[in-house]
Amino acid sequence: MSAKTLTDWQIVMRSLRARPLSTWITIGMVATSVALLLVLFGMRTAARGAFDRGSGNIHLLVSADPSPLVAVLNGIFYANAPSKPIAWSKYQSIRSAFPYQWAIPTQQGDSYRGSPTMATSTDFFSKFEPVAGEPWKLASGKFFERPFEIVLGAAAAKASGLRLGQEVFLTHGSGASREGSEPDEHAGHVHTEFPFKVVGVLEPTGSAHDRALFIDLESSWILHAFDRRERAGISGATTAADLEDDDRKITGILLRLPTRAGSDASAAMQQQFDTLRRDTAIVVAQPAQQIQKLFEIVSNVDGIFIGMAVVVLISSSLSTMLALYNSMAARTRQIAVLRVLGASQGRVFGLVLTESLVITMAGALSGIVLALLGGIAASAWLKASIGLVIDPTLDPRSTVIVLGGAVALGGIAGILPAWRAYQVPVADNLRPAA
Amino acid sequence: MPVPALIIRDLRFSYPDASWALSVPHLQVEAGEHVLLVGGSGRGKSTLLQVVAGLRELGSGSVEVAGMRMDTLRGAARDEARGRSIGMIFQTFNLLHGFTALENVFAALMFSSMPAAEHEHRARTLLSTLGIADADADVDRLSVGQQQRVAVARALAARPALVLADEPTASLDPENTETAMDLIQSACRAEGAALLCTSHDPSMRARFARIESIDAMIAGGAR
Repeated sequence: MSAKTLTDWQIVMRSLRARPLSTWITIGMVATSVALLLVLFGMRTAARGAFDRGSGNIHLLVSADPSPLVAVLNGIFYANAPSKPIAWSKYQSIRSAFPYQWAIPTQQGDSYRGSPTMATSTDFFSKFEPVAGEPWKLASGKFFERPFEIVLGAAAAKASGLRLGQEVFLTHGSGASREGSEPDEHAGHVHTEFPFKVVGVLEPTGSAHDRALFIDLESSWILHAFDRRERAGISGATTAADLEDDDRKITGILLRLPTRAGSDASAAMQQQFDTLRRDTAIVVAQPAQQIQKLFEIVSNVDGIFIGMAVVVLISSSLSTMLALYNSMAARTRQIAVLRVLGASQGRVFGLVLTESLVITMAGALSGIVLALLGGIAASAWLKASIGLVIDPTLDPRSTVIVLGGAVALGGIAGILPAWRAYQVPVADNLRPAA
Repeated sequence: MPVPALIIRDLRFSYPDASWALSVPHLQVEAGEHVLLVGGSGRGKSTLLQVVAGLRELGSGSVEVAGMRMDTLRGAARDEARGRSIGMIFQTFNLLHGFTALENVFAALMFSSMPAAEHEHRARTLLSTLGIADADADVDRLSVGQQQRVAVARALAARPALVLADEPTASLDPENTETAMDLIQSACRAEGAALLCTSHDPSMRARFARIESIDAMIAGGAR
């Protein structure tokens, strides 16, 4: 159906369609830069979300690591095995010194094919929530109930391919030595004397815990008692009865303080934090605070990436400006004709400015779709491959800011070409071409 | 008594650093009147039309089109007045490329006072009258003769009081010149528009009852 009249909008669209290559390339550039910015904003939010997951409903984390930040990185994100142990007696004295809701001991240091192992108590599954408000869920099997039973995090299960009922041998240390291989003193050695039976596989939590395997504390202590006895030349099976106080070591304590009903905050937090800090043998960390500190440390790098993306967005706006500005040379006659027909200078200025805004808006909206589709694809891939749960939706605030910024830049980019159109000398451009 | 289509009084215009100037003490074109402005190439005929259309600033004097003082209007007001009262036809048509014949006529109507609802009927009727069968064809696909018809339709679309035709036949052979002038003059008569047509072609004189010479409107050094 043909048009009933001609509008400014139709003139703008016809003008853009008259130079499709330039228009589509410019839209593509704006779309790419907007998608890049949104992905970077999204990654920052997702990374923050991923870090916030994992500390769950812990109020305080105690360890013997060199600093609270290292304690959080090791104890919650499994960055490394904590290097210094805490005596069981210290755990008992801490637990009895204050009416904590719960105090869960943890011990790290062993591994299975490179995946970290955490030895802990059954409270770890019944009281600790890896994500606040989201308790552990089993994909199959059950939580461990006795020594030498092992529960697999979702990503660890996927990576190892282990199934319920299979037996595994843990490696002392965090090395990646494999079962059956020769002991490697740097990578740790495999405890083939103590098979662990897979009894459960956890649902993904979107936290670092998904990469870990979980056993009970006593099993871990028996492994270390076996090593001690072997070094002392004592042969024969090692059981719980052979444990000595020196074998009963842990590397961390997850603490939750009393709270009022319906609140996650504890009035005793600061007081108890200060009390624990007086003990120079341990460090105490508030995970949320340390994660914030970590983000402050990496914010400079984060800022550089965002800055680069902004530069790309500005570059695409400059491209829009150049494409429109250069097109003016070929359009002076068209502009002069419109002026003769009655178009004012302001109207011609508006037409060119609208072209710039249309290109930018089309690019920005395409960029949002691109970022959204990319986010959905990346989220699905991360969940399927490493069990990492990332929200693929775009942050509305970031999206509005990026969209607004892109459109504002598009408007600015259109000013120079629009000004050139505004100044086209009408009479001089109506003469027959030489 | 109908308002004259054009009244020029004491007009003086010169280009910067030019040794000559256009000087028109009085020129009046009555409503519906057809006037031929003759003179050799480069004598200032096109310049006079541009001054009348408000595309160049006159130095002094006044230009009144359909009772409206063009010289006192500025900016958008002058553009609007031009769109409503003056139609222009050019030697090379100056059509909007990439647009259809219909859209080229719409382009003149969109700046006129005619309600948008009437645009299509007006444009199609005009194009049909002037022999354009396919109004929705892209102007780049039309023959030269058809393009000229579209240019004439566009100039008359807003029902202007005055049509300024600037050397409309300069690039045509004698046979096509006759055809084109027949078209322009008959269309102007049909629409009741006055016509001020420039030409350096002596054969055009026979078509006009009134002929003015640009040479009589030049003051200063010889050109």
